[in-house]
Order: sequence, then structure tokens, then C-alpha cells
Amino acid sequence: MSPTLSYVDSTIVLSIALLIVATMTGIGYRFFQGRGHSVSGAQCIELEKLNLLKNGEEVTKFGKEATVVLFSTEYCGQCPAVRRSLAKLEYRKGGLLFIEADITHRIDLAAHFNISQTPTVFVLNPAGEIRFRIGGTPKPKTIETELEKLGVK
Amino acid sequence: MTTNNHVDPRGPRFGAAITSVLSFIAFYLSLTNQSLAYAIVIALGVLFTWSLVSPSTHPYGWSFAKFIRPNLAAPKELEDPRPLKFAQQVGLAFALLGIIGGIFSAPLVTVSAAFIFIAAFLNAFFGLCLGCQLYLLIRRVGIIR
Repeated sequence: MSPTLSYVDSTIVLSIALLIVATMTGIGYRFFQGRGHSVSGAQCIELEKLNLLKNGEEVTKFGKEATVVLFSTEYCGQCPAVRRSLAKLEYRKGGLLFIEADITHRIDLAAHFNISQTPTVFVLNPAGEIRFRIGGTPKPKTIETELEKLGVK
Repeated sequence: MTTNNHVDPRGPRFGAAITSVLSFIAFYLSLTNQSLAYAIVIALGVLFTWSLVSPSTHPYGWSFAKFIRPNLAAPKELEDPRPLKFAQQVGLAFALLGIIGGIFSAPLVTVSAAFIFIAAFLNAFFGLCLGCQLYLLIRRVGIIR
């Protein structure tokens, strides 16, 4: 094999490697994002510190059966779709409260809850303890399954 | 913020598909014909800047509106343009790495083209906006405010 030819070969190999890396990253992202995991321990959300408004009123109480918190930013492309689906869920389920925290200007909260991407969704029990967290757009039914465990019908 | 500013999300993804092809060619050429690769990276930098300065006159948006959108159904939902703008800024940052870094060190053109390709490819074909994903992390380490 001439040296020129092997040089061309290595550029092709590198180009294909780049394609493969990008594709695997995409497949991995699609597979892992939005699956979520249970949270042990009892990290609590303190509503006074979040200072959230819902329909113009400050949120002071958790949902009777469960609370779903959506962390979003102004730059989050997928958050509006997640917001809509969670609002629908809240409407359908009794005892469920849905709140959204825009953390664009509250980066301290991202550090506190170790949030590295938006959307991030927390499922809280009636005491406000985080039971489940999902990074990315939640997969269909994931949140509903978790809510059923908390007794939301 | 009015809904009038919102955009059909398929438009930027169409643009990202073109960007991914261009940057892939740039990556390939940067290993063989460096001056041509450098020219493509400059062109990408111009395109990113254009979309930040005047998105409505951008050739991607224009060709999407003219040739692609008439053949598609109405969009299911519209998207806030701010995340897209941030993504373009990230793209521009990588292009500048290639343009400025390329003067001093040729491999930086390859690195720049590879990053732009990965970001644009993931956006176009997997709907993953890398810039938007990294936004919080970048904020948390304090590079941007």
C-alpha cells in the first residue's frame, strides 16, 4: 500500500469514527434521557425558599397525594411540551399539584438540587420529600407509574 | 413575549441538517485540504452570525419556508426562539475556535468542525439540542451569567 493511500484511508476511518460517535451519542441520549430514578433519603423541597407562583398566587401547600415539580429555564426547548402534558395530568388526577420553577435566574437552586439539565422533573410525596427524579423529557407513563405508587388515581 | 415570535421547530432542524453536512465535509477536508476546510468553517461562522443578527433573512429559513414547509403538515407546536438563539451562539463559539485557532494551529479547525458536526447532527436527527442541554452546566460553573 502506498503512503498516500494509507493517508486517505486514515481520513476516511476518522470521518466514519466521527459519524459513529455522533450516532451512538444520539442513540444513548434517546435511550437514557427521561427514564428517571427513585430517590432515597429524604431531601425535602421547602416551598418558602422556592417562592413559586401558581395562577398568580404563592404556592404554600403541597398536593394532597403528590406534587410534581418541573424545573425549566428560558432557554429550554422541550419544557413547554412537558409543561402542557403535566398540566393535563394535574387536571386528570385528583390530589395532584403541578408546579413549575423557572431557574434561569435561580442558578443557586440548580446547584442545590444538583440539576444539570432542563427539563428536570421531581415527584414529591405529600410531605414534600423527593421520591423520584427525571432528567430530560419524561418518557410516557413514567410519571403516572410513580404517581400510582404514591396513591394518585 | 408574544406567540408571534415562535418558530416551527422543524425549520431549525432542517438548518441543522445542512450545517451537519457542511461541517462533516469540513471535518473530512481538514484532514486533506486544509485551506478549503478553513473556508467552510468561516462560512459556518458567517451562517451562525447571520442567524443571530437577522434570523428572518437567513438562507436556511428562507429555503425552508420556500421549499420544505409547503410540503409539510402544520406544526404540532411552535417553539420559543430563545433556546435556538443560544444554540446558534454555541455554534458560533465553536466556529470562532476554528477560525481564530486555525491561524495558529491547524488541528483546531478539525476540532471545531467535529464539535459543530456532532452538535448539528444530534439536533437534526435526534432532536437533541446540545447547547440547550449544556446551558445549565455552563451557568453553574460560571462561564456565562
